[in-house]
Amino acid sequence: MKERRGKAKKALVYVTDRVRDRSFAWRVLIYIGSLALLFGLWEIASLVILHVKGEEYLPNPVKAILEMHRLGPILFRNFWTSAWRLVLAILIAFFTGYPLGLLIGQERWLDQFVSPMVYIIYPIPQVAFILLLFLVFGIGNPVKVAIVAIAIFFQLLVSARGAAKEIDPEHVTSVLSAGASRFQTYWHVVIPETLPSILTSLRVSVGLGMAFLYIAEISGSVSPGRGGLGAFIKASSFNTTQQAAGILAMALLGLVLYVLIDVMERIVCRWRYTARRSS
Amino acid sequence: MIDVRDVVVEYGKRAGAVRAVDKISLRVAPGESLALIGPSGCGKSSLLFAMAGLIRPTEGAISVNGEPLNRPRREIALILQNAGLLPWKTVWQNANLSLLLGKEYPRATAQAVLDELGLGEVKRRYPSELSEGMKRRVGIARALSTSPSVMLMDEPLASLDTLTKERIQDLFLRLWVRHAFALVLVTHDIEEAAFLGQRVAVLTDRPARIKEVVENRAMGEQNYRETTAFADTVARLRAALERE
Repeated sequence: MKERRGKAKKALVYVTDRVRDRSFAWRVLIYIGSLALLFGLWEIASLVILHVKGEEYLPNPVKAILEMHRLGPILFRNFWTSAWRLVLAILIAFFTGYPLGLLIGQERWLDQFVSPMVYIIYPIPQVAFILLLFLVFGIGNPVKVAIVAIAIFFQLLVSARGAAKEIDPEHVTSVLSAGASRFQTYWHVVIPETLPSILTSLRVSVGLGMAFLYIAEISGSVSPGRGGLGAFIKASSFNTTQQAAGILAMALLGLVLYVLIDVMERIVCRWRYTARRSS
Repeated sequence: MIDVRDVVVEYGKRAGAVRAVDKISLRVAPGESLALIGPSGCGKSSLLFAMAGLIRPTEGAISVNGEPLNRPRREIALILQNAGLLPWKTVWQNANLSLLLGKEYPRATAQAVLDELGLGEVKRRYPSELSEGMKRRVGIARALSTSPSVMLMDEPLASLDTLTKERIQDLFLRLWVRHAFALVLVTHDIEEAAFLGQRVAVLTDRPARIKEVVENRAMGEQNYRETTAFADTVARLRAALERE
């Protein structure tokens, strides 16, 4: 009995050590465990709704996954359409909002000039622009990408401005005394120091972008087969299993983007993870 | 040679201007060391940053090796309070920052400097993986990487424990003797000023003016910390600081 307890304790110590180690395999296992828990909760919710309402409004996860498999190519086409729209919008917003936010945060004259404009436009729900954009530019891809890009742009711009104002002055003094030009100060200090908070903001933006993409896609679709996941979900209003498959595909798209941002952060902000490991 | 003539540093404009440095003149010859000591916030760092070419004096002039100073120059190295290391750069990149900014590939001497300071083994590490003492040594390596003729230090050993502080003070002294640069040290630590300054300028509270210059010619003697000359300099500096 005592021996068995000792073994159990050893096993527990081993597991907690590996979790702390955060080796790749363990991280994958934790990810899978987390997904299993989520699907478990979904299954419970599905059973509760079925029991209370007597109708299967929320199909269980197994049914949704099987439906995804059945729908195969058509779901993939819509997934792909939504994915490239979202990724393109994120890239446009990142490469415009981030540098502009840094400039506003660092250059006082630009801050005084641009910030009032930003703070008038930023609080307006960007959804309010959708109708105007559809009226002016039609319902094609560029407008859908633009709607998402505008929403993320302001998010990143405001975050970058804030991060640029928090730069440690000793880092700037350090590179200036080493002979850095203005551009080199941005490249060697401002960008690396603000990147971690911008990537955090980018993660938040993925959720925001998906919400706006959904709104844009249900508001107007070009062709039924390639309207994107939003249009697909809307078209499945009377088929809850198909709808659940569409929602699951959207969640998958979000997951892929989060993982990509995580990987990117581990590459470009390697120093932060080394610090964490050594502490 | 660094020559400071009637330098005034003010922050802000017109009526709201705050004077940090008030008509200071001093001269540091090649291979000489000068410590500037004064109360916290008296304006001594402003004076040092002006000597580094980072702040333009409101009045007066600074010249280095006979040339007027109006921007940071390679022959002037600055060591900051927390070593000024960039956390996202490795020890090697931090130590050679001046060379890399000048688009020069670090020379073999850069490796020699790291080895001399005992950092050869950790050159691929990030600052967060180093002890405080090692971080200061990386800051020193960066300052030495351009073979400067003037070395400026802004409270470089603040917040270090006593033993580490003394070890790095000994290192500063060795490097100063070997590389023969003009050294200007800003500190609020009396013993540090007495250990590293051949002359110690005692500054007033803000705005900084030179109150008194204490000569400390015995500095650099073996086991100087244990000598009566050192104790005497410390006592004179303390008295000068306390005097109104």
